[in-house]
Amino acid sequence: MRNIWIIARRDLRAQFNSPVAYVVIGGTMFLVGVLFFLIPHVGNAFMGSFWELDRASMDQLFLYLPPLMCLFVVPAVTMRTIAAERGSGTLELLITMPVRDSDVILGKFIASLSVVLILLAATLLYPIAMFFWPWNLGPLDWPTLWAGYLGCLLFSSAAVAVGMMLSSLTESDVIAFFMTSATLSVLYAIGWMAALIPGVLGDAVEFLSFQTRYQSFARGLVDTRAVLYFLSVATVCILVSFRALESRKWS
Amino acid sequence: MSNDVMIYANDLSKSFGTFRALDKINFEVKRGEIVGFLGPNGAGKSTTMRILTCFISPTSGTVRVNGHDVFDAPLQVRENLGYLPQRAPLYLEMSVLEYLRFAADLRNLDADTFRKRAKSVVEVCGLAQVLGREIRHLSHGYRQRVGLAQALIHDPPILILDEPTSDLDPNEKAEFLDYLKQIGEQRTVMLSTHNLAEVEASCARAIIVSRGRIVADGPLDDIRAKSGRVRYVVSVQESSGTAGYKGRGEPPKKSEVQSAFGAVGGVKKIDELPTDERAHAFELVSDRDVDLRPDVFRVAADKGWVLLELHRDAQTLEDVFRSLTIGDERRNRQLGPDGDGRDEEDDAGADDQADAPPREGSRDRHEKTASDRS
Repeated sequence: MRNIWIIARRDLRAQFNSPVAYVVIGGTMFLVGVLFFLIPHVGNAFMGSFWELDRASMDQLFLYLPPLMCLFVVPAVTMRTIAAERGSGTLELLITMPVRDSDVILGKFIASLSVVLILLAATLLYPIAMFFWPWNLGPLDWPTLWAGYLGCLLFSSAAVAVGMMLSSLTESDVIAFFMTSATLSVLYAIGWMAALIPGVLGDAVEFLSFQTRYQSFARGLVDTRAVLYFLSVATVCILVSFRALESRKWS
Repeated sequence: MSNDVMIYANDLSKSFGTFRALDKINFEVKRGEIVGFLGPNGAGKSTTMRILTCFISPTSGTVRVNGHDVFDAPLQVRENLGYLPQRAPLYLEMSVLEYLRFAADLRNLDADTFRKRAKSVVEVCGLAQVLGREIRHLSHGYRQRVGLAQALIHDPPILILDEPTSDLDPNEKAEFLDYLKQIGEQRTVMLSTHNLAEVEASCARAIIVSRGRIVADGPLDDIRAKSGRVRYVVSVQESSGTAGYKGRGEPPKKSEVQSAFGAVGGVKKIDELPTDERAHAFELVSDRDVDLRPDVFRVAADKGWVLLELHRDAQTLEDVFRSLTIGDERRNRQLGPDGDGRDEEDDAGADDQADAPPREGSRDRHEKTASDRS
């Protein structure tokens, strides 16, 4: 247990010692800002940008944040976790300390998730600035907001676990980045296509998609099936990473 | 007695797919020993060390480190070890002090012990000047020292060092080897290297591996005696140069010299050595128990040749190492990755035939030393 924190702390510090964490958090905040205030809703012609919507709602934030996380944030944060250590050989020195393989995996998972959580916390600036202080544009439905953030948290856990798993399967952080970006984007985007696919296949796609699962949270609904889904994805991916790390012993 | 065996490997094998990296190797290392682990590249040195540190698992066999089995108690094994992997892979973005603290934290040292240990480790590894610097800005020599420092931070009874001196300059190497003798008094040290001079300077015992097998294991003197051969170097004046020829009659031809010395009783082998045009130089090899020098001198004197040089070399560790492992290297080079290449390598095949006798010889020696040992 203690070792998990030591490894997580070191990894987190490493993220903030390199420019990656700053660029990712700063860049995402900027993009979210642009999308949030200036660009009309892409998927739905009836929705405009935040101002045109004319409602005290943070829907827009929850609409744009997850795709950005899939495309850039999570891949950039998780790409180095195991791939880079394997590539540079530092993994050997880390693992030959008296630590369990599971300590290493969980420590790294916690560190990556923390970076994403710091980003999520930073996006809280939007609702706070507009609906609490210094401006108060109207009565915001705070419980809906918290449900949305809970959804983001669960969604990020699953996404970070997927990223870490893919990072544990390669030695190159570039490959890990693109694999993660592609996998997460597909998992997210198939939700939009689910409606077009008829029958059982459509249901299956809807079942698998991060987007459809996440949707209910954004509307303020905490769906236990979705909670379980995200937690299961995270657990399975963490287990696969653990096995991938362990497989070095036998290959 | 069994308490004193710090590293114990029995029938240790490791295969990577169809490639046998280690083939049933057996060895023991006792408390207080400094053992040099030698072998050509790819012989299985790093693989053995990675198994000892529980980074990879053996395919079969038993390995115990300080009484702990690598399968049953990997954490205890690692607690008893300090390990420096090849090329000292460290976290580049950390400062030296941060790194040492991180290692100490994972080793569960409390703040007081850390302060004490860090002080002594920093002193012996010569890190005081660079403590606050990021590892990425350090030279390879310094990185290696940091790697050694982290291996020593918890005062382990066993040190496993994989090519610890590969990036050091000659001064640092000498310093390091001195230091190794110092710390080796209370510890068990196993270091791998292909630099034989280092082994001669710091280890009393060597294990030589080649193609996944142990080909020699024992005190250095025994290993040196393994080949049981002595080498002589003779050179004879070939032409006058500016000083004029001091011998009787005409200066001799190369073939004349070669056949005359080759005929001396006890000479097993005669090879020409490279020289300038003023001398013919040859290397004679004989068995250990006869001294050829009087006979060689007699031949030269009878022919009226001018003897420029005549001396005897005991075989160096390097020669033994080469003779024990060279057949394997040669075979590696010939076969390459895609097996027995038949058609396009006819020429190579012919060379192979020519080389066959000495190779056979060295193969025999492998067998012999292997059986001597067991």
